[in-house]
Amino acid sequence: MTTLIIIFGFSIYLILYLTYGKKLERDVVKASNEQSTPSHRLYDGVDYISARKEVLLGHHFASIAGAAPIIGPALAICWGWAPALLWVWLGNIFIGAVHDYLSLMASVRYDGKSVQFVATDLIGKRTGYAFYWIVFFLLILVVAAFAAIIGGMFVRTPAIASAYIYKIMAALVLGVLIYRAKMNFSLATIIGIVMLGFAIWLGTVTPIKASYMTWMWVFFFYIIVASSIPVNVLLQPRDYLNSWLLYAGLVLGFLAAIFAFRGFEVPAFAGFSPVLLGGKATPFWPAIPLVIACGSLSGFHSLVASGTSSKQLDKESDGLLIGYGAMFLEGFLSTIVIVAIAGFGYTALKTAAAAKAVEFTLNASNWGATFTGISGKLGLSKANLFVQSYADMAAATWLSFIPGKYVKVLAGMWVASFAMTTLDTTNRLARYCLAEMAAPLKESATGLYNFLANRWVASVIPAAIGIYLAASGNWLIIWGSFGASNQLIASIALMTGAAYVAKKLKSGFANAALIPAGLLWITVTAALLWFIIVVQPGAIAAKPVPGWTVTVILVVMFILNFVFVFDFIKSKSFKKAG
Amino acid sequence: MISSIVQRIRRIFADFDATHREKATALTVMEMEELENIFALLLLGSFAGFPSPPTFIAVELLPYMERELQVLCKRAKDCNDMLAEMCGTIGLE
Repeated sequence: MTTLIIIFGFSIYLILYLTYGKKLERDVVKASNEQSTPSHRLYDGVDYISARKEVLLGHHFASIAGAAPIIGPALAICWGWAPALLWVWLGNIFIGAVHDYLSLMASVRYDGKSVQFVATDLIGKRTGYAFYWIVFFLLILVVAAFAAIIGGMFVRTPAIASAYIYKIMAALVLGVLIYRAKMNFSLATIIGIVMLGFAIWLGTVTPIKASYMTWMWVFFFYIIVASSIPVNVLLQPRDYLNSWLLYAGLVLGFLAAIFAFRGFEVPAFAGFSPVLLGGKATPFWPAIPLVIACGSLSGFHSLVASGTSSKQLDKESDGLLIGYGAMFLEGFLSTIVIVAIAGFGYTALKTAAAAKAVEFTLNASNWGATFTGISGKLGLSKANLFVQSYADMAAATWLSFIPGKYVKVLAGMWVASFAMTTLDTTNRLARYCLAEMAAPLKESATGLYNFLANRWVASVIPAAIGIYLAASGNWLIIWGSFGASNQLIASIALMTGAAYVAKKLKSGFANAALIPAGLLWITVTAALLWFIIVVQPGAIAAKPVPGWTVTVILVVMFILNFVFVFDFIKSKSFKKAG
Repeated sequence: MISSIVQRIRRIFADFDATHREKATALTVMEMEELENIFALLLLGSFAGFPSPPTFIAVELLPYMERELQVLCKRAKDCNDMLAEMCGTIGLE
């Protein structure tokens, strides 16, 4: 079954890429190589510079791939593997990839301007400005969600914590070798990869045990420090090692899933409303986009596509591979995650229960009601179930010659590396967002503006709120809120794409963008409403301060959501499409 | 046949290598851009109200500043639209 799903998923992606994708390219976007792209038209040798499509695909994919396409599907398995897989595939093909592709192509036609700029032009100034607010909320929630994931993983498997620290040291050494010793790049790469392997081995030998709260404090200071040191000291060599880790993890996972030849242990469908977010019965619709974000669709991708990729696109026909194809790769990564957990997740739970001498009964009839609780109790929530299932999947194939404990640390480091990169990225983005958000205060309250725009204040605000929320422990609330902010950005970007094809291209197939945009908006709105009414009261009652913090963020987003659609319907683009 | 397959495989590895290098240098490029911005501002600061270096030095350096001037104009135009570019360069999730 594992093998069948992987091959079937691969075939679906390939066929839809060649049919639906090509249709979008031809009839919706009307891509033409006759039109010069910004990389040629505005060539400056720095930002606007053309890249070969294969290279750009790699760069774009590395920018959009992270920990979220792994975590989301791991949680969604509580609905059973079939609903999770369907949302990844259908959401990916008809919404997520369309969203990424349209964002990229709209930006290409707008001289490489961002989707935020295009939204301002096509929908309204307010929409463009509100982008900053949503991204700022996303930054706070992403710090909270990812800090909790890494903290949970470091506590559960201390070897991952130590291996990660050794990897940071390896990255520092690699930075010295490349920039100070001016070592040949290929040789330095080989040394870096050897050090990475050594870090994994050493991590298993010398695990670092610390409490969850200790790790929260470490992350808080790490976030502040990591963004203040020059990029070539830590960030760059570490990201370089991360990309090797990403490809190693993907290749190993793909091979293991292909050769596992294993039936699924997890039920295909475990009910429409299993217990998940905030310990409440969570209906598949509308809550699924709050749980599976990046593996299916992500608003953040629209920023990447319209930020750097659109400035480097060589010709318009390359856009399909970069915008549409890279999202398929991300969906395929989520497919591997679902296959690993569906095939080996139950065994992982059983093994963990045996080690802790805990008894549990989990079958198709009680899966939805008890899976999330049991996995949390056994320390296999968040990324941990994936890490264990991934290691078991590799051990069940000819890859078993690699000791399981190393595969487990590799998978853990894969997730931790992406999540950790995100933590120190947030500071740089938050500084920019806060300065733009505070801009209206520049004249009326100069002192307050200067305070908020200060780099240290702008760094500490999202880090402090995010880590505080992570430390509060209600992770499933934070994850759902993170999903909501991400999907809200996606909703705006897709509306922008729809407005673009309707207004600028006068495309007869604008519905290919308008229908998913409408469906996504309705789903996200219903999900937000459900979250605020059903989940948040419990969260507030349990822990008032973090509960109210998240509620305020959700309510503001809910209001902004209506502002967007009001502006969109009012805009000439929508009237033209109608 | 075999040589074309070998060539294709070599190209895949070359692209893989290029992707890694490109991704790795993007951050340095970002820092270099900041230094360029500061350099341009030092020479052409009078536009923004900063004191400029003596005129003869600025004029002597001007021919070497052609590309920087073009980049400066473009950046001035795009300075309110940097969020996506930052996301693309440093990533988020």
